[in-house]
Amino acid sequence: MQASRARLFKEYKEVQREKTADPDIQLVCDDSNIFKWTALIKGPSETPYEGGVFQLAFSVPEQYPLQPPQVRFLTKIFHPNVHFKTGEICLDILKNAWSPAWTLQSVCRAIIALMAHPEPDSPLNCDSGNLLRSGDVRGYQSMARMYTRLAAMPKKG
Amino acid sequence: MDDYASSDDDYNYSDDQDSVGDVFANDDLDFPLVSSKGSTTQVITKESLLAAQREDLRRVMDMLSVREQHARTLLIYHRWDVDRLFGVYVEKGKAFLFAEAGVSVDECRDSSSLAYDSVMCEICMDDVPIEEATRMDCGHCFCNSCWTEHFFVKINEGQSKRIRCMAHKCNSICDEAVVRTLLSRKYPDMAEKYERFLLESYIEDNKRVKWCPSTPHCGNAIRVEEDDLCEVECSCGEQFCFNCLEEAHSPCSCLMWELWVKKCRDESETVNWITVHTKPCPKCHKPVEKNGGCNLVSCICGQAFCWLCGGATGREHTWSSIAGHSCGRYKEQEKTAERAKRDLYRYMHYHNRYKAHTDSFKLESKLKEAIQGKISISEEKNSTTVTDYSWVNNGLSRLFRSRRVLSYSYAFAFYMFGDELFKEEMSEDQREIKQNLFEDQQQQLEGNVERLSKVLEEPFETFKDKKVMEIRMQILNLSTLIDNLCKTMYECIENDLLGSLNHGIHSIAPYKSRGIEKASELQVSWSNKANNTGVTAEVERPEESGCSSRKRARKEGLGGGFFDLNLPAEFLDRN
Ligand SMILES: [Zn+2]
Ligand SMILES: [Zn+2]
Ligand SMILES: [Zn+2]
Ligand SMILES: [Zn+2]
Ligand SMILES: [Zn+2]
Ligand SMILES: [Zn+2]
Ligand SMILES: [Zn+2]
Repeated sequence: MQASRARLFKEYKEVQREKTADPDIQLVCDDSNIFKWTALIKGPSETPYEGGVFQLAFSVPEQYPLQPPQVRFLTKIFHPNVHFKTGEICLDILKNAWSPAWTLQSVCRAIIALMAHPEPDSPLNCDSGNLLRSGDVRGYQSMARMYTRLAAMPKKG
Repeated sequence: MDDYASSDDDYNYSDDQDSVGDVFANDDLDFPLVSSKGSTTQVITKESLLAAQREDLRRVMDMLSVREQHARTLLIYHRWDVDRLFGVYVEKGKAFLFAEAGVSVDECRDSSSLAYDSVMCEICMDDVPIEEATRMDCGHCFCNSCWTEHFFVKINEGQSKRIRCMAHKCNSICDEAVVRTLLSRKYPDMAEKYERFLLESYIEDNKRVKWCPSTPHCGNAIRVEEDDLCEVECSCGEQFCFNCLEEAHSPCSCLMWELWVKKCRDESETVNWITVHTKPCPKCHKPVEKNGGCNLVSCICGQAFCWLCGGATGREHTWSSIAGHSCGRYKEQEKTAERAKRDLYRYMHYHNRYKAHTDSFKLESKLKEAIQGKISISEEKNSTTVTDYSWVNNGLSRLFRSRRVLSYSYAFAFYMFGDELFKEEMSEDQREIKQNLFEDQQQQLEGNVERLSKVLEEPFETFKDKKVMEIRMQILNLSTLIDNLCKTMYECIENDLLGSLNHGIHSIAPYKSRGIEKASELQVSWSNKANNTGVTAEVERPEESGCSSRKRARKEGLGGGFFDLNLPAEFLDRN
């Protein structure tokens, strides 16, 4: 408990310092609870998510960093490894491949990498996974782009 | 004969023991005939567990020149299969073998960071003095308190046998000694648990070793040398099939036995009426109780009839000619009969016979005591011709063993010649031929078993020497004959029946003329006990905290707060 707080506090300070260093990630800690974080990440360029800003919710366990945080998308996203309804993410480092050396910041980077390189073979979103697996890249991309436009872009006007 | 007196209590069956699966549970044959010489199965007790795994550890340590902990990591990865481990070594080389299992023996630690007096731990992000950090063999260095918490969490998650390094993508398994040292400083209980998990890996992760399934648990495990398809007796007396851990059930295959037990449970209501303990006399219709092991019963009205089929038998249907009766051969119902009804009748036919033999077994078990009495009386006669009565006991154990075989052979036949498992495997004609072949053997066996049962009931203690010698000859001859018939039946099942099938999933434990093999005690040499391994028996302390048992839940057998080293740690943890 103490260890996880201390570590999260260190990460918090690091984030403040690095804010300008990684313009694609904006990590914010909940004012009243250091175990709740949110992040805004930019959709990687040359992907259907380009131009979108996606919000992630972090729930950090007391055993952190020995156990991984729970992360999910708050912004709707069409991606093979993200559950379309719940925003749950299928990513090995958030499960059995977790290492305590990871930080919330590096988890965000891993999620951005996942957006650029989907894994259609372990899909949480079957529709999206099926499109990709069947080789219909254009179908997948246009769906993903549509949802990026609908959900992840600042509304104009 | 010492064993004999001590096992008198073994035959106290409760009367309502209708469930399958425990009838033969106490088929305890402590006769001199049974020897554990040259057995290929061994009992691993609390005391010998360490020695048992040390053999394998030493082979690997010698062969690869590695430390014990690395040998253990390799063996755990390869599920204690030394041959497989060496196979990988020969085929793919040492580097691959080590990397795959997470062993880093590359101990040329870069001493650059040692030059500083503090290191930054990437986990807690603190700067810690160098003496409060530990570098693993893989080269990754973190602070001791982070390591300790990491070990704690991993052991709690049940991953104690392979605790990985904390660094990202590092596959290396943590140094046992480090785990032990760091854990015991802050979490001595956890350190203890870790030792136990390592020790028990030899049983839990080893396909050649299994816990004895007795309840309450005897604390032993059994190791087989080669074939895991065998039936074995633990030193606690529990007899079981090593493959499925259920009671010994050959010549049924494990799957057949599983299906049969389930079937009997499901159908027990339906066929209750047929398994009652009495049968109506075919002549006067009064219920007749079976009062001996023999399947020829007679009513007070004088009518003799066959217990198996309930049919009246004439003068010639005496014990000496019962071999000729053919009721064991099931006549298929008329083609017009409804299928469901036919299936039920078919099941009842087999179950009836299965049950008749288990019941005979129960009754005959009581013979054991009676026969000891007769032997004592006979011995007091101080006859000069007959001085040794071991043939009676040998005959009795032959009877028990063959009853058992006979009983299970009906469950076997039910599946072998039914539609459930092998419908596609044989044509109708083939099936009929095979069924006739098998039933011929079964009947011969059945007839002779009944004869043996009858002879053993003779009041030989009242006979003259000459008559006793005749009885002795009869018992010896019948025993040999029955042994051969059993052997032939197993061979027929293995080669002609199961052997010809396409699906190789059905195999049976080989026939053992001497009965189920008693596992011998593993010989422990304590010479290397005082090894510096750290995994010593210094773990005899109470346990607490919880996780769940994977392998086999055991509810009883856990009285005091002191744990039995040989009970699975996971099990103890729940209490
Ligand atoms: Zn490492
Ligand atoms: Zn640390
Ligand atoms: Zn046992
Ligand atoms: Zn079995
Ligand atoms: Zn009668
Ligand atoms: Zn009889
Ligand atoms: Zn009959």
